[in-house]
Amino acid sequence: MKEPVRIQKENFSVEEEVEAIKRTSKRIGAVVTFLGVARDFSKGHTIEALEFEQYEQMALKALRKLREDTLERFDIIDVRIVHRVARIPAGENIVLIVVASEHRKEAFSACSWCIDTLKKTVPLWKKEITPEGESWVEPHP
Amino acid sequence: MIRVLLFGVLATKTGTKEIELDVKTPVSLEALLEELRKRLPSLPEGEFLFAVNEEHASKETTVNDGDTVAIMPPFSGG
Repeated sequence: MKEPVRIQKENFSVEEEVEAIKRTSKRIGAVVTFLGVARDFSKGHTIEALEFEQYEQMALKALRKLREDTLERFDIIDVRIVHRVARIPAGENIVLIVVASEHRKEAFSACSWCIDTLKKTVPLWKKEITPEGESWVEPHP
Repeated sequence: MIRVLLFGVLATKTGTKEIELDVKTPVSLEALLEELRKRLPSLPEGEFLFAVNEEHASKETTVNDGDTVAIMPPFSGG
């Protein structure tokens, strides 16, 4: 089975990740996913692609810590986090968070907290590639 | 010698991803940043995040000879 926390260039399969988490326990009664996708339009500009840079030595460690913190903070069974880097054409997947729990409420809360915290704590930077040129994206909540 | 890594908009604006600074140590990150501005005047102003030897740090953190310092714009993953 693939690692539950990964940073990779290639696309991922949402279905594979959901199946992987379901296999971890028969106590699972709810699986909540967050899938971040590259939009083709932002603030009046056409976006051809996004390009993600990472501080490689820190980013994976930060994602692993995020998984541990999510497991500790919420009454859930497991969580998987996959983030892509390098060039991502508009329409493709960027990030996936999959949370499994006995009941849905905790899984929704954990998934929401996990993506919010990822944006604040993982050293990744996003650049928009447009027909007019490239620009780094200011973070937004 | 302190190895300084720059990321995102900081690397783009300065045209530099990595630079070595020969400064008297120990030195605070705040003082190191001033030194860096002398070498790279195009370094933008703003709120930066810091790491020393791959651990999160603050402006007050002191660094020593041989350390690797990352100066990072706010994160924008996800």
